[in-house]
Amino acid sequence: MSVRRVAYVVAGLALAFVVLAPLTSIDAAQQAGLPLLTDKLWFRIATTVAMFVVMASGWNIIGGLTGYASFGNVAFFGLGAYTAGVVVTNLNLPFAIALVLAPIVAATFAVIVGIPLLRLRGHYFAVATLGVGVAVGEVINNIEPLGAATGLFLPIIRSDVLFFYLMLGTAILAVLTTWVILRTRFGYGLLAIRENEEAAAVIGVNTTFYKVAAFCIAAALTGIAGAIFAQWNSFINQDNAFAISDNVQMILMAVIGGTGTVLGPVAGAISLELIIQRLAGGGSGSVFSQIGLGVLLAVCVIFIPRGVIDFFGGRSKLSLRYFRQTLRETSA
Amino acid sequence: MSLLAVRDLSKRFGGVNALAGVTFEVEQGDVLGIIGPNGAGKTTLLNCISGLYRPDTGDIRWETTSIRGLAPYRIARLGIGRTFQIVRPFPSMTVRENTAMGALFGRPGARLQPGAALNEADTVLDVVGLGEKRQYPVLRLTVPDRKRLEVARALAMRPRLLLLDEVMAGLNQVEIEQALEMVRRVRDSGVTIVLIEHVMKVIVGVCRRALVLNFGRTLVEGPPAEVLKDRRVIEAYLGQRYARDQEP
Repeated sequence: MSVRRVAYVVAGLALAFVVLAPLTSIDAAQQAGLPLLTDKLWFRIATTVAMFVVMASGWNIIGGLTGYASFGNVAFFGLGAYTAGVVVTNLNLPFAIALVLAPIVAATFAVIVGIPLLRLRGHYFAVATLGVGVAVGEVINNIEPLGAATGLFLPIIRSDVLFFYLMLGTAILAVLTTWVILRTRFGYGLLAIRENEEAAAVIGVNTTFYKVAAFCIAAALTGIAGAIFAQWNSFINQDNAFAISDNVQMILMAVIGGTGTVLGPVAGAISLELIIQRLAGGGSGSVFSQIGLGVLLAVCVIFIPRGVIDFFGGRSKLSLRYFRQTLRETSA
Repeated sequence: MSLLAVRDLSKRFGGVNALAGVTFEVEQGDVLGIIGPNGAGKTTLLNCISGLYRPDTGDIRWETTSIRGLAPYRIARLGIGRTFQIVRPFPSMTVRENTAMGALFGRPGARLQPGAALNEADTVLDVVGLGEKRQYPVLRLTVPDRKRLEVARALAMRPRLLLLDEVMAGLNQVEIEQALEMVRRVRDSGVTIVLIEHVMKVIVGVCRRALVLNFGRTLVEGPPAEVLKDRRVIEAYLGQRYARDQEP
Protein backbone atom coordinates (compact mmCIF):
# COMPACT_ATOMS: atom_id res chain seq x y z
CA MET A 1 0.00 0.00 0.00
CA SER A 2 1.36 3.37 -0.95
CA VAL A 3 2.05 6.12 1.52
CA ARG A 4 -0.65 8.16 -0.17
CA ARG A 5 -3.28 5.51 0.42
CA VAL A 6 -2.30 5.13 4.05
CA ALA A 7 -2.60 8.90 4.43
CA TYR A 8 -6.08 8.83 2.90
CA VAL A 9 -7.23 6.06 5.23
CA VAL A 10 -5.82 7.78 8.30
CA ALA A 11 -7.39 11.08 7.24
CA GLY A 12 -10.73 9.35 6.63
CA LEU A 13 -10.71 7.68 10.04
CA ALA A 14 -9.76 10.90 11.75
CA LEU A 15 -12.55 12.73 9.94
CA ALA A 16 -15.11 10.05 10.81
CA PHE A 17 -14.02 10.22 14.44
CA VAL A 18 -14.24 13.98 14.56
CA VAL A 19 -17.68 13.94 12.97
CA LEU A 20 -19.12 11.07 14.98
CA ALA A 21 -17.65 11.76 18.42
CA PRO A 22 -20.02 14.61 19.35
CA LEU A 23 -23.03 12.61 18.14
CA THR A 24 -22.90 10.48 21.22
CA SER A 25 -23.53 12.34 24.42
CA ILE A 26 -20.57 13.79 26.23
CA ASP A 27 -21.09 11.36 29.10
CA ALA A 28 -21.09 8.35 26.78
CA ALA A 29 -17.93 9.54 25.10
CA GLN A 30 -16.22 9.99 28.44
CA GLN A 31 -17.19 6.51 29.54
CA ALA A 32 -15.88 5.12 26.28
CA GLY A 33 -12.61 6.87 27.07
CA LEU A 34 -12.62 9.20 24.06
CA PRO A 35 -10.76 12.24 25.23
CA LEU A 36 -11.30 14.38 22.16
CA LEU A 37 -14.31 16.69 22.05
CA THR A 38 -15.60 15.71 25.45
CA ASP A 39 -14.53 18.90 27.12
CA LYS A 40 -15.09 22.49 26.14
CA LEU A 41 -11.46 23.25 25.41
CA TRP A 42 -11.18 20.53 22.82
CA PHE A 43 -14.45 21.60 21.25
CA ARG A 44 -13.10 25.08 20.97
CA ILE A 45 -9.86 23.88 19.42
CA ALA A 46 -11.67 21.60 16.96
CA THR A 47 -13.97 24.43 15.88
CA THR A 48 -10.97 26.76 15.50
CA VAL A 49 -9.16 24.17 13.40
CA ALA A 50 -12.22 23.85 11.13
CA MET A 51 -12.37 27.64 10.87
CA PHE A 52 -8.77 27.77 9.73
CA VAL A 53 -9.37 24.94 7.27
CA VAL A 54 -11.97 27.20 5.65
CA MET A 55 -9.67 30.22 5.62
CA ALA A 56 -6.61 28.30 4.38
CA SER A 57 -8.65 26.55 1.67
CA GLY A 58 -10.18 29.87 0.63
CA TRP A 59 -6.76 31.48 0.47
CA ASN A 60 -5.52 28.49 -1.51
CA ILE A 61 -8.07 29.18 -4.27
CA ILE A 62 -6.73 32.69 -4.95
CA GLY A 63 -3.17 32.30 -3.62
CA GLY A 64 -2.45 28.66 -4.43
CA LEU A 65 -4.42 27.91 -7.59
CA THR A 66 -4.37 31.35 -9.18
CA GLY A 67 -0.99 32.46 -7.84
CA TYR A 68 -2.14 35.75 -6.32
CA ALA A 69 -0.87 35.86 -2.73
CA SER A 70 -3.56 37.86 -0.98
CA PHE A 71 -2.71 39.39 2.39
CA GLY A 72 -6.18 40.86 2.67
CA ASN A 73 -8.40 37.79 2.87
CA VAL A 74 -8.99 38.56 6.52
CA ALA A 75 -11.11 41.49 5.30
CA PHE A 76 -13.60 38.93 3.95
CA PHE A 77 -13.61 37.20 7.31
CA GLY A 78 -14.24 40.49 9.07
CA LEU A 79 -16.94 41.54 6.64
CA GLY A 80 -18.66 38.18 7.13
CA ALA A 81 -18.44 38.61 10.89
CA TYR A 82 -19.81 42.13 10.81
CA THR A 83 -22.58 41.12 8.41
CA ALA A 84 -23.65 38.56 10.99
CA GLY A 85 -23.34 41.15 13.74
CA VAL A 86 -25.53 43.67 11.94
CA VAL A 87 -28.12 41.09 10.87
CA VAL A 88 -28.46 39.58 14.32
CA THR A 89 -28.17 42.63 16.59
CA ASN A 90 -29.10 45.75 14.56
CA LEU A 91 -31.77 44.11 12.41
CA ASN A 92 -32.91 41.45 14.88
CA LEU A 93 -33.07 38.79 12.19
CA PRO A 94 -32.24 35.11 12.68
CA PHE A 95 -28.64 33.95 12.40
CA ALA A 96 -29.53 31.75 9.39
CA ILE A 97 -30.09 34.88 7.31
CA ALA A 98 -26.65 36.10 8.32
CA LEU A 99 -25.17 32.85 7.05
CA VAL A 100 -26.68 33.55 3.62
CA LEU A 101 -25.85 37.25 3.51
CA ALA A 102 -22.25 37.02 4.77
CA PRO A 103 -20.82 35.25 1.69
CA ILE A 104 -22.75 37.61 -0.60
CA VAL A 105 -21.36 40.71 1.11
CA ALA A 106 -17.81 39.31 1.13
CA ALA A 107 -17.99 38.22 -2.53
CA THR A 108 -19.39 41.59 -3.62
CA PHE A 109 -16.53 43.33 -1.85
CA ALA A 110 -14.11 40.94 -3.57
CA VAL A 111 -15.43 42.05 -6.97
CA ILE A 112 -15.15 45.73 -6.07
CA VAL A 113 -11.54 45.54 -4.86
CA GLY A 114 -10.57 42.62 -7.11
CA ILE A 115 -11.12 44.38 -10.42
CA PRO A 116 -8.52 47.10 -9.74
CA LEU A 117 -6.16 45.08 -7.49
CA LEU A 118 -5.91 41.91 -9.57
CA ARG A 119 -4.13 43.94 -12.25
CA LEU A 120 -1.14 44.03 -9.91
CA ARG A 121 1.18 41.08 -9.56
CA GLY A 122 3.55 39.59 -7.02
CA HIS A 123 4.59 41.87 -4.16
CA TYR A 124 2.46 44.72 -5.40
CA PHE A 125 -0.68 42.64 -5.12
CA ALA A 126 0.37 41.37 -1.69
CA VAL A 127 0.98 44.88 -0.34
CA ALA A 128 -2.17 46.33 -1.90
CA THR A 129 -4.38 43.60 -0.41
CA LEU A 130 -2.66 44.02 2.96
CA GLY A 131 -3.63 47.68 2.76
CA VAL A 132 -7.24 46.79 1.99
CA GLY A 133 -7.36 44.34 4.90
CA VAL A 134 -6.13 46.94 7.37
CA ALA A 135 -8.21 49.77 5.89
CA VAL A 136 -11.54 47.93 6.06
CA GLY A 137 -10.93 47.11 9.71
CA GLU A 138 -10.04 50.74 10.49
CA VAL A 139 -13.11 52.07 8.70
CA ILE A 140 -15.46 49.73 10.54
CA ASN A 141 -13.72 50.64 13.77
CA ASN A 142 -14.97 54.19 13.24
CA ILE A 143 -18.57 53.54 12.27
CA GLU A 144 -20.86 54.18 15.22
CA PRO A 145 -23.77 51.84 14.25
CA LEU A 146 -21.24 49.02 13.96
CA GLY A 147 -20.15 49.48 17.53
CA ALA A 148 -17.08 51.53 16.58
CA ALA A 149 -14.14 50.75 18.88
CA THR A 150 -16.35 48.98 21.42
CA GLY A 151 -17.29 46.20 19.04
CA LEU A 152 -20.56 44.35 18.60
CA PHE A 153 -22.15 41.96 21.07
CA LEU A 154 -24.30 39.19 19.65
CA PRO A 155 -26.89 37.30 21.70
CA ILE A 156 -25.22 34.19 23.04
CA ILE A 157 -26.21 30.81 21.62
CA ARG A 158 -24.98 28.12 23.97
CA SER A 159 -24.30 25.16 21.77
CA ASP A 160 -20.74 24.04 21.19
CA VAL A 161 -22.01 21.20 19.02
CA LEU A 162 -23.91 23.54 16.69
CA PHE A 163 -20.91 25.75 15.98
CA PHE A 164 -18.60 22.79 15.62
CA TYR A 165 -20.88 21.29 13.00
CA LEU A 166 -21.38 24.60 11.21
CA MET A 167 -17.62 25.15 10.95
CA LEU A 168 -17.02 21.54 10.00
CA GLY A 169 -19.71 21.75 7.31
CA THR A 170 -18.16 24.93 5.93
CA ALA A 171 -14.72 23.32 5.99
CA ILE A 172 -16.04 20.34 4.01
CA LEU A 173 -17.72 22.78 1.61
CA ALA A 174 -14.40 24.61 1.14
CA VAL A 175 -12.49 21.38 0.46
CA LEU A 176 -15.17 20.13 -1.94
CA THR A 177 -15.16 23.47 -3.75
CA THR A 178 -11.41 23.20 -4.29
CA TRP A 179 -11.76 19.59 -5.43
CA VAL A 180 -14.45 20.49 -7.95
CA ILE A 181 -12.58 23.54 -9.23
CA LEU A 182 -9.47 21.45 -9.89
CA ARG A 183 -11.50 19.12 -12.11
CA THR A 184 -13.12 21.73 -14.29
CA ARG A 185 -12.19 24.01 -17.16
CA PHE A 186 -12.32 26.89 -14.69
CA GLY A 187 -9.65 25.27 -12.54
CA TYR A 188 -7.34 24.71 -15.48
CA GLY A 189 -7.78 28.36 -16.36
CA LEU A 190 -6.69 29.40 -12.86
CA LEU A 191 -3.62 27.14 -13.03
CA ALA A 192 -2.72 28.58 -16.43
CA ILE A 193 -2.91 32.10 -14.98
CA ARG A 194 -0.65 31.06 -12.10
CA GLU A 195 1.88 29.41 -14.39
CA ASN A 196 2.06 32.13 -17.05
CA GLU A 197 -0.58 34.79 -17.30
CA GLU A 198 0.30 36.14 -20.74
CA ALA A 199 0.44 32.67 -22.23
CA ALA A 200 -2.96 31.99 -20.65
CA ALA A 201 -4.39 35.14 -22.21
CA VAL A 202 -3.23 34.37 -25.76
CA ILE A 203 -4.65 30.85 -25.72
CA GLY A 204 -8.07 32.26 -24.84
CA VAL A 205 -8.34 32.42 -21.04
CA ASN A 206 -10.42 35.41 -19.93
CA THR A 207 -7.85 36.22 -17.27
CA THR A 208 -9.63 39.15 -15.59
CA PHE A 209 -12.90 37.24 -15.20
CA TYR A 210 -11.15 34.12 -13.92
CA LYS A 211 -9.08 35.97 -11.35
CA VAL A 212 -12.03 37.95 -10.02
CA ALA A 213 -14.16 34.79 -9.88
CA ALA A 214 -11.46 32.97 -7.89
CA PHE A 215 -11.17 35.94 -5.53
CA CYS A 216 -14.97 35.90 -5.13
CA ILE A 217 -15.12 32.21 -4.24
CA ALA A 218 -12.31 32.64 -1.71
CA ALA A 219 -14.13 35.63 -0.25
CA ALA A 220 -17.49 33.86 0.02
CA LEU A 221 -16.01 30.88 1.88
CA THR A 222 -14.01 33.12 4.21
CA GLY A 223 -17.09 35.27 4.78
CA ILE A 224 -19.14 32.29 5.96
CA ALA A 225 -16.40 31.39 8.43
CA GLY A 226 -16.47 34.99 9.68
CA ALA A 227 -20.22 34.92 10.21
CA ILE A 228 -20.08 31.65 12.16
CA PHE A 229 -17.19 33.01 14.21
CA ALA A 230 -19.16 36.14 15.12
CA GLN A 231 -22.12 34.18 16.48
CA TRP A 232 -19.92 31.56 18.12
CA ASN A 233 -17.71 34.10 19.87
CA SER A 234 -20.75 36.41 20.43
CA PHE A 235 -18.40 39.39 20.42
CA ILE A 236 -16.57 40.97 17.50
CA ASN A 237 -14.33 43.99 17.16
CA GLN A 238 -11.53 45.12 14.90
CA ASP A 239 -8.95 43.04 16.73
CA ASN A 240 -10.60 39.65 16.45
CA ALA A 241 -12.45 40.08 13.14
CA PHE A 242 -9.71 41.83 11.14
CA ALA A 243 -6.59 40.29 12.68
CA ILE A 244 -3.70 40.46 10.24
CA SER A 245 -2.15 37.59 12.20
CA ASP A 246 -5.10 35.44 11.05
CA ASN A 247 -4.20 36.31 7.49
CA VAL A 248 -0.57 35.37 8.04
CA GLN A 249 -1.71 32.13 9.66
CA MET A 250 -3.97 31.07 6.80
CA ILE A 251 -1.15 31.66 4.34
CA LEU A 252 1.29 29.69 6.51
CA MET A 253 -1.16 26.81 6.72
CA ALA A 254 -1.74 26.68 2.98
CA VAL A 255 1.99 26.97 2.24
CA ILE A 256 3.08 24.40 4.79
CA GLY A 257 0.35 21.97 3.75
CA GLY A 258 0.90 22.50 0.06
CA THR A 259 -0.49 25.30 -2.09
CA GLY A 260 -2.53 24.34 -5.10
CA THR A 261 -3.58 20.99 -3.66
CA VAL A 262 -6.98 19.99 -2.26
CA LEU A 263 -5.84 18.56 1.06
CA GLY A 264 -2.73 20.67 1.64
CA PRO A 265 -4.53 23.53 3.40
CA VAL A 266 -6.40 20.98 5.55
CA ALA A 267 -3.20 19.27 6.64
CA GLY A 268 -1.56 22.66 7.22
CA ALA A 269 -4.48 24.03 9.22
CA ILE A 270 -4.77 20.98 11.47
CA SER A 271 -1.07 20.59 12.18
CA LEU A 272 -0.26 24.26 12.56
CA GLU A 273 -3.26 25.11 14.72
CA LEU A 274 -2.47 22.20 17.04
CA ILE A 275 1.15 23.33 17.25
CA ILE A 276 0.05 26.88 17.98
CA GLN A 277 -2.32 25.73 20.73
CA ARG A 278 0.45 23.62 22.24
CA LEU A 279 3.10 26.34 22.12
CA ALA A 280 0.92 29.26 23.12
CA GLY A 281 0.65 28.38 26.80
CA GLY A 282 0.81 32.07 27.61
CA GLY A 283 3.69 34.08 29.02
CA SER A 284 7.04 33.53 27.39
CA GLY A 285 5.63 30.49 25.59
CA SER A 286 3.87 32.59 22.99
CA VAL A 287 7.14 34.31 22.09
CA PHE A 288 8.68 30.93 21.36
CA SER A 289 5.61 29.98 19.38
CA GLN A 290 6.10 33.05 17.16
CA ILE A 291 9.78 32.24 16.68
CA GLY A 292 8.97 28.60 16.05
CA LEU A 293 6.38 29.49 13.40
CA GLY A 294 8.84 31.77 11.65
CA VAL A 295 11.53 29.11 11.55
CA LEU A 296 9.02 26.51 10.42
CA LEU A 297 7.87 28.71 7.55
CA ALA A 298 11.44 29.41 6.41
CA VAL A 299 12.35 25.72 6.48
CA CYS A 300 9.16 24.73 4.64
CA VAL A 301 9.49 27.33 1.91
CA ILE A 302 13.11 26.39 1.25
CA PHE A 303 12.99 22.61 1.52
CA ILE A 304 9.42 21.54 0.84
CA PRO A 305 7.99 24.39 -1.24
CA ARG A 306 5.28 22.11 -2.56
CA GLY A 307 4.08 21.40 0.96
CA VAL A 308 3.85 18.40 3.23
CA ILE A 309 1.14 16.79 1.06
CA ASP A 310 3.60 16.49 -1.80
CA PHE A 311 6.38 15.58 0.61
CA PHE A 312 4.57 12.61 2.16
CA GLY A 313 2.19 11.62 -0.58
CA GLY A 314 4.02 12.67 -3.73
CA ARG A 315 5.94 10.72 -6.28
CA SER A 316 9.17 10.64 -4.35
CA LYS A 317 10.38 8.85 -1.25
CA LEU A 318 11.44 10.57 1.89
CA SER A 319 15.05 11.18 1.17
CA LEU A 320 17.74 13.78 0.78
CA ARG A 321 17.23 13.40 -2.94
CA TYR A 322 13.75 14.88 -2.59
CA PHE A 323 15.17 18.03 -0.98
CA ARG A 324 17.92 18.38 -3.54
CA GLN A 325 15.49 17.91 -6.39
CA THR A 326 12.90 20.40 -5.17
CA LEU A 327 15.65 22.89 -4.44
CA ARG A 328 16.85 22.55 -8.01
CA GLU A 329 13.43 22.73 -9.56
CA THR A 330 12.05 25.63 -7.57
CA SER A 331 15.00 27.98 -7.27
CA ALA A 332 15.08 30.35 -10.20
CA MET B 1 -11.12 40.47 -48.71
CA SER B 2 -7.97 39.48 -46.89
CA LEU B 3 -7.87 37.41 -43.70
CA LEU B 4 -5.80 39.94 -41.75
CA ALA B 5 -5.23 43.55 -42.71
CA VAL B 6 -2.88 45.77 -40.73
CA ARG B 7 -3.13 49.44 -41.61
CA ASP B 8 -0.78 52.23 -40.58
CA LEU B 9 -0.06 50.64 -37.19
CA SER B 10 2.08 52.54 -34.71
CA LYS B 11 3.14 51.98 -31.12
CA ARG B 12 5.38 54.14 -28.96
CA PHE B 13 7.22 53.20 -25.79
CA GLY B 14 8.25 56.47 -24.19
CA GLY B 15 10.50 58.09 -26.76
CA VAL B 16 10.90 54.99 -28.90
CA ASN B 17 8.75 54.49 -31.97
CA ALA B 18 8.61 50.70 -31.90
CA LEU B 19 6.14 50.72 -34.77
CA ALA B 20 5.78 53.76 -37.00
CA GLY B 21 3.07 53.07 -39.54
CA VAL B 22 3.20 49.47 -40.68
CA THR B 23 0.76 48.33 -43.36
CA PHE B 24 0.32 44.86 -44.84
CA GLU B 25 -2.26 42.23 -45.62
CA VAL B 26 -2.33 38.47 -45.25
CA GLU B 27 -4.50 36.36 -47.54
CA GLN B 28 -6.09 33.08 -46.55
CA GLY B 29 -3.50 30.29 -47.02
CA ASP B 30 -0.58 32.72 -47.21
CA VAL B 31 2.77 32.27 -45.48
CA LEU B 32 4.25 35.67 -44.69
CA GLY B 33 7.75 36.01 -43.30
CA ILE B 34 8.65 39.08 -41.27
CA ILE B 35 12.35 39.87 -41.01
CA GLY B 36 14.36 42.82 -39.83
CA PRO B 37 17.30 43.71 -37.59
CA ASN B 38 16.99 43.56 -33.82
CA GLY B 39 14.68 46.24 -32.49
CA ALA B 40 12.89 46.65 -35.81
CA GLY B 41 9.52 46.12 -34.14
CA LYS B 42 8.74 42.56 -35.20
CA THR B 43 7.67 41.22 -31.83
CA THR B 44 5.85 44.46 -31.01
CA LEU B 45 3.85 43.93 -34.19
CA LEU B 46 2.88 40.42 -33.09
CA ASN B 47 1.99 41.66 -29.61
CA CYS B 48 -0.31 44.28 -31.15
CA ILE B 49 -2.04 41.69 -33.35
CA SER B 50 -2.55 39.24 -30.49
CA GLY B 51 -3.85 41.99 -28.21
CA LEU B 52 -1.08 42.07 -25.59
CA TYR B 53 -0.29 45.66 -26.62
CA ARG B 54 -2.82 48.27 -27.59
CA PRO B 55 -1.61 50.10 -30.70
CA ASP B 56 -1.47 53.92 -30.55
CA THR B 57 -2.82 54.52 -34.05
CA GLY B 58 -3.86 52.47 -37.02
CA ASP B 59 -6.20 49.54 -37.39
CA ILE B 60 -6.07 45.74 -37.43
CA ARG B 61 -8.89 44.04 -39.30
CA TRP B 62 -9.77 40.36 -39.08
CA GLU B 63 -11.81 39.65 -42.20
CA THR B 64 -14.41 42.42 -41.96
CA THR B 65 -14.19 43.50 -38.33
CA SER B 66 -11.64 45.57 -36.44
CA ILE B 67 -9.89 43.70 -33.64
CA ARG B 68 -7.86 46.68 -32.46
CA GLY B 69 -7.94 46.96 -28.68
CA LEU B 70 -9.79 43.67 -28.11
CA ALA B 71 -8.71 41.61 -25.09
CA PRO B 72 -6.14 38.90 -25.95
CA TYR B 73 -8.54 36.07 -25.09
CA ARG B 74 -11.15 37.40 -27.51
CA ILE B 75 -8.60 37.63 -30.29
CA ALA B 76 -7.44 34.09 -29.51
CA ARG B 77 -10.98 32.75 -29.78
CA LEU B 78 -11.45 34.43 -33.16
CA GLY B 79 -8.84 31.98 -34.44
CA ILE B 80 -5.50 33.71 -34.01
CA GLY B 81 -2.89 31.57 -32.25
CA ARG B 82 0.63 32.64 -31.41
CA THR B 83 3.90 31.43 -29.95
CA PHE B 84 6.41 33.37 -27.89
CA GLN B 85 10.03 33.92 -28.85
CA ILE B 86 11.05 33.19 -25.27
CA VAL B 87 8.96 30.11 -24.64
CA ARG B 88 6.23 30.39 -22.02
CA PRO B 89 5.08 26.91 -21.08
CA PHE B 90 3.01 26.16 -17.97
CA PRO B 91 5.91 24.68 -15.97
CA SER B 92 4.08 22.42 -13.52
CA MET B 93 2.14 20.64 -16.26
CA THR B 94 3.11 17.83 -18.57
CA VAL B 95 3.60 18.27 -22.31
CA ARG B 96 0.16 16.82 -22.92
CA GLU B 97 -1.54 19.07 -20.38
CA ASN B 98 0.19 22.14 -21.77
CA THR B 99 -1.08 21.36 -25.23
CA ALA B 100 -4.58 20.54 -23.98
CA MET B 101 -4.85 24.06 -22.55
CA GLY B 102 -4.95 25.44 -26.08
CA ALA B 103 -7.83 23.13 -27.02
CA LEU B 104 -9.60 23.83 -23.74
CA PHE B 105 -9.71 27.61 -24.06
CA GLY B 106 -8.81 28.71 -27.56
CA ARG B 107 -11.53 27.03 -29.59
CA PRO B 108 -14.17 29.26 -31.06
CA GLY B 109 -17.66 27.90 -30.47
CA ALA B 110 -18.31 24.71 -28.55
CA ARG B 111 -16.42 24.28 -25.29
CA LEU B 112 -14.42 21.14 -24.73
CA GLN B 113 -14.25 19.39 -21.39
CA PRO B 114 -10.78 18.63 -19.95
CA GLY B 115 -10.89 14.97 -21.04
CA ALA B 116 -11.73 15.79 -24.65
CA ALA B 117 -9.05 18.48 -24.68
CA LEU B 118 -6.42 15.95 -23.59
CA ASN B 119 -7.38 13.64 -26.46
CA GLU B 120 -7.17 16.57 -28.83
CA ALA B 121 -3.68 17.29 -27.50
CA ASP B 122 -2.50 13.82 -28.51
CA THR B 123 -3.42 14.48 -32.15
CA VAL B 124 -1.60 17.79 -32.20
CA LEU B 125 1.50 16.42 -30.47
CA ASP B 126 1.91 13.90 -33.26
CA VAL B 127 1.86 16.72 -35.82
CA VAL B 128 4.69 18.61 -34.11
CA GLY B 129 6.66 15.45 -33.33
CA LEU B 130 6.29 15.40 -29.56
CA GLY B 131 4.01 12.36 -29.49
CA GLU B 132 6.46 10.17 -27.63
CA LYS B 133 7.19 12.79 -25.01
CA ARG B 134 3.59 13.64 -24.15
CA GLN B 135 3.90 12.53 -20.52
CA TYR B 136 7.15 14.43 -19.89
CA PRO B 137 7.09 17.30 -17.45
CA VAL B 138 7.89 20.43 -19.42
CA LEU B 139 11.07 21.06 -17.47
CA ARG B 140 12.59 17.92 -18.94
CA LEU B 141 12.23 19.15 -22.53
CA THR B 142 15.16 20.44 -24.56
CA VAL B 143 15.02 23.91 -26.13
CA PRO B 144 13.90 22.70 -29.59
CA ASP B 145 11.20 20.58 -27.97
CA ARG B 146 9.99 23.53 -25.92
CA LYS B 147 9.67 25.52 -29.13
CA ARG B 148 7.66 22.67 -30.61
CA LEU B 149 5.44 22.70 -27.55
CA GLU B 150 4.74 26.40 -28.10
CA VAL B 151 3.55 25.54 -31.60
CA ALA B 152 1.54 22.56 -30.34
CA ARG B 153 -0.30 24.64 -27.75
CA ALA B 154 -1.20 27.23 -30.38
CA LEU B 155 -2.23 24.55 -32.91
CA ALA B 156 -4.52 22.90 -30.37
CA MET B 157 -6.63 26.04 -30.58
CA ARG B 158 -7.32 25.11 -34.21
CA PRO B 159 -6.36 28.62 -35.29
CA ARG B 160 -6.98 29.97 -38.79
CA LEU B 161 -3.97 32.22 -38.43
CA LEU B 162 -0.79 31.22 -36.62
CA LEU B 163 1.76 33.82 -35.53
CA LEU B 164 5.18 32.24 -35.00
CA ASP B 165 7.79 34.34 -33.19
CA GLU B 166 11.26 32.98 -33.98
CA VAL B 167 10.51 29.31 -33.46
CA MET B 168 13.81 28.39 -35.12
CA ALA B 169 16.14 30.69 -33.20
CA GLY B 170 18.78 28.75 -31.30
CA LEU B 171 18.26 25.52 -33.23
CA ASN B 172 21.04 23.69 -35.10
CA GLN B 173 20.89 22.77 -38.78
CA VAL B 174 19.23 19.38 -38.28
CA GLU B 175 16.68 20.81 -35.87
CA ILE B 176 15.91 23.64 -38.31
CA GLU B 177 15.19 21.09 -41.04
CA GLN B 178 12.82 19.25 -38.69
CA ALA B 179 11.12 22.48 -37.66
CA LEU B 180 10.77 23.49 -41.33
CA GLU B 181 9.04 20.19 -42.01
CA MET B 182 6.69 20.91 -39.13
CA VAL B 183 5.83 24.39 -40.44
CA ARG B 184 5.16 22.93 -43.90
CA ARG B 185 2.82 20.34 -42.41
CA VAL B 186 0.94 23.07 -40.59
CA ARG B 187 0.73 25.16 -43.77
CA ASP B 188 -0.52 22.17 -45.76
CA SER B 189 -3.26 21.60 -43.20
CA GLY B 190 -4.70 24.94 -44.28
CA VAL B 191 -3.48 27.29 -41.56
CA THR B 192 -2.37 30.74 -42.61
CA ILE B 193 1.01 31.61 -41.10
CA VAL B 194 2.85 34.80 -40.22
CA LEU B 195 6.34 34.05 -38.98
CA ILE B 196 9.16 36.14 -37.62
CA GLU B 197 12.53 34.65 -38.38
CA HIS B 198 16.21 35.52 -38.52
CA VAL B 199 17.14 32.29 -40.28
CA MET B 200 16.99 33.20 -43.97
CA LYS B 201 16.82 29.58 -45.00
CA VAL B 202 13.41 29.41 -43.34
CA ILE B 203 12.14 32.55 -45.04
CA VAL B 204 13.18 31.23 -48.45
CA GLY B 205 12.09 27.71 -47.58
CA VAL B 206 8.45 28.22 -46.62
CA CYS B 207 7.37 31.82 -47.13
CA ARG B 208 5.48 33.00 -50.15
CA ARG B 209 6.11 36.62 -49.28
CA ALA B 210 8.51 38.44 -47.02
CA LEU B 211 8.15 41.76 -45.24
CA VAL B 212 11.21 43.61 -43.99
CA LEU B 213 10.79 45.93 -41.02
CA ASN B 214 13.35 48.52 -40.01
CA PHE B 215 12.91 51.11 -37.25
CA GLY B 216 9.21 50.29 -37.08
CA ARG B 217 8.58 50.88 -40.76
CA THR B 218 8.05 48.62 -43.74
CA LEU B 219 11.30 48.65 -45.72
CA VAL B 220 10.55 46.20 -48.52
CA GLU B 221 7.82 43.71 -49.25
CA GLY B 222 7.79 40.99 -51.90
CA PRO B 223 8.85 37.45 -52.80
CA PRO B 224 11.58 36.26 -50.41
CA ALA B 225 14.32 35.73 -52.98
CA GLU B 226 13.95 39.28 -54.33
CA VAL B 227 13.62 40.85 -50.91
CA LEU B 228 16.87 39.30 -49.68
CA LYS B 229 18.76 40.74 -52.65
CA ASP B 230 17.38 44.22 -52.16
CA ARG B 231 20.11 46.74 -51.42
CA ARG B 232 18.06 48.48 -48.70
CA VAL B 233 17.71 45.19 -46.86
CA ILE B 234 21.42 44.44 -46.98
CA GLU B 235 22.09 47.99 -45.73
CA ALA B 236 19.72 47.54 -42.84
CA TYR B 237 21.35 44.31 -41.76
CA LEU B 238 25.02 44.87 -42.58
CA GLY B 239 25.48 48.60 -42.96
CA GLN B 240 25.75 50.95 -45.92
CA ARG B 241 29.44 50.40 -46.56
CA TYR B 242 29.02 46.65 -46.86
CA ALA B 243 26.12 47.17 -49.25
CA ARG B 244 28.23 49.58 -51.36
CA ASP B 245 31.12 47.13 -51.53
CA GLN B 246 28.78 44.44 -52.81
CA GLU B 247 27.69 46.58 -55.79
CA PRO B 248 28.91 45.09 -59.05
